[in-house]
Amino acid sequence: MDLPPPPVPEPLRQVEIPPPGGPPAIAVGTLNPPPVPPAPSKIRWVSTVVLAAVLGVVVFGGYVAAGALSQPAGPPVSVAGVVRVQPLSGWELAGRFGSPPGARLSRGSGNLDFVALSFNGSSLDLVREYVNQVLEPGAEQLSVSKEAESVTLRSGLSGVRIRYIGLFGKAQASIEGEVTAIVSPAGVGAIFDAWSPEGLLQYVIDDIHRMIDRAQVG
Amino acid sequence: MSVQPGPPAPPVVPVRPSLGRPRWGHQTSLFQLRQPAFWLFLAVVLATGYYTVTQQTLFQRISPSGWALSWLLLLLYALPIFAAVYLLDLYEREPLSLVVGALIWGAVAATTLAGFANEGWGFVVARIGGPEFASRWTAALTAPLTEEILKVAGVALIALIAVDEIDDVMDGFVYGAMVGLGFAVVEDVLYFIAIFGGTPSGVLAGFYVRVISSGLYGHVLYTGLSGMGIAYFVSRRHEATRAKRIGVALLLFLVAVFGHFLWDSPFLNFFPGHLNTVGDWLQIPLAAAIKGIPLLVFVIVMIKLARRRERGWLELALASEVGSAALTRQELGILLDPHARRRSRRDMRTRAGEGAARLLRRLQREQINLAMVRTRVELDDDPALVHQRAYCRSLRDALMAMPGAAPAMRPTEPPG
Repeated sequence: MDLPPPPVPEPLRQVEIPPPGGPPAIAVGTLNPPPVPPAPSKIRWVSTVVLAAVLGVVVFGGYVAAGALSQPAGPPVSVAGVVRVQPLSGWELAGRFGSPPGARLSRGSGNLDFVALSFNGSSLDLVREYVNQVLEPGAEQLSVSKEAESVTLRSGLSGVRIRYIGLFGKAQASIEGEVTAIVSPAGVGAIFDAWSPEGLLQYVIDDIHRMIDRAQVG
Repeated sequence: MSVQPGPPAPPVVPVRPSLGRPRWGHQTSLFQLRQPAFWLFLAVVLATGYYTVTQQTLFQRISPSGWALSWLLLLLYALPIFAAVYLLDLYEREPLSLVVGALIWGAVAATTLAGFANEGWGFVVARIGGPEFASRWTAALTAPLTEEILKVAGVALIALIAVDEIDDVMDGFVYGAMVGLGFAVVEDVLYFIAIFGGTPSGVLAGFYVRVISSGLYGHVLYTGLSGMGIAYFVSRRHEATRAKRIGVALLLFLVAVFGHFLWDSPFLNFFPGHLNTVGDWLQIPLAAAIKGIPLLVFVIVMIKLARRRERGWLELALASEVGSAALTRQELGILLDPHARRRSRRDMRTRAGEGAARLLRRLQREQINLAMVRTRVELDDDPALVHQRAYCRSLRDALMAMPGAAPAMRPTEPPG
């Protein structure tokens, strides 16, 4: 049997292969140099300004709106005639304490307890005393921030602030809180204890800071 | 054997002039110093970049190993997503400077601004609804709107900087998805360190929850969708009324916001409350799928529609070139179908080796570039067009000279 002849390979042609990564179509455009981009039209300017304004409203608008929504509401709550707190809208007086004299403002599960007492010492001493004599005796577990933060009220008085989390009394859920201690030059001490179930304090803390900031001590 | 262009053949698909002319031939970089939008982009990125670097430095100091592991894992996730999104645009890949700009906007500007915006609007929710309501609803009522606006603003800036690059909705998806990818990566690092504890085991748990279980459904989809809306508004000026363009853009944006809202809200929440058993861990991807798959399907449909339209553009741009030295009717059929393109290269590799397959890839790329040139010039004998035709022909000649290459050039089946 005659086998068919094997296929003869085609002779290779000499063909110049274009260089790898040869000029893409875009580069071809160099034959016609691209025109100089025109100056931005008025609408580009307007669009950019509008976009910048939108960014501003989105980023800062919440703070402005929240400020407008938290106006002082009702008369100030006074304790022993030396500490006065102006409740913001949504906050109401939930109770008063006897010794030392104090009051509680509430909004939902957010609370601000504040007491007034005579105190000879620094605001750091006052906050330590509050932790030792009030928080620790009432807590089954307590964790207090190691560092105290300095705060200055609108009136110019300065104080310190600490945070805590713990289990108190028969409550099943952890309580998180923030204590601000202020001592006036006249020896009036004020404790502001903001607290709520764990995870909820963040939703009222801005209100509470505003009320403390505007509080009058002494 | 020599391959000569055959006699002029009718185009595979009839020309559809109603599609208009894409502007594929234009390529613009991010650095348009004459555009006010560029300076706004730069100012915001620089201002927020300082904050981002400070935050990342803090994370790195808190947990060096957790921070490094976070970035390593997220790069493993982000690089394939980046490649997949970038390559989605089959015919005209977007300029890398703009794509990277979109990524940076999402990673640096949008994340930082969103942090402030969410806090501010969170106060509003708390003021109106009280702490209990706020604890359940703040995320759902703030983040979808603030974050989607801040992210899509990046696409809008790119459209203002380089409007020629937004040819159709697919381009908007690419830029939007890149913004979303940058946002997701930096937000995930924040979650891994601040929420999942930052230890290596916490980071791994976070990676499982936020990336393996939910990585398909998040910011990439949301911003990709709203980016399509921006692109629709920009690119359909000659085809749709202003009202329709605004309506479509708004609708796509609202769909993205709704998808984000659904994800953050207590609705359809089947995530386990505690992670005590293997079953709890397995429940997470199922719960994520319930919330995320509807939007994923919607986006896939939108992408398919956008790709169909791009294919129509390619047909339109190359119709007059069919039968020229640069393009045969069969080659156009292959170009129009990504699967046929891959199949033809595979076939070429089998018959003529890797070098021939690479050359065929170049030929196909240059034939697509021919479409770009075709859309840019007016005259049939424009020097750029003539040059590109000659270039394509020289590539084909070179390919045909390679042993075994010629048979594989013939497509088996032009796609329908």
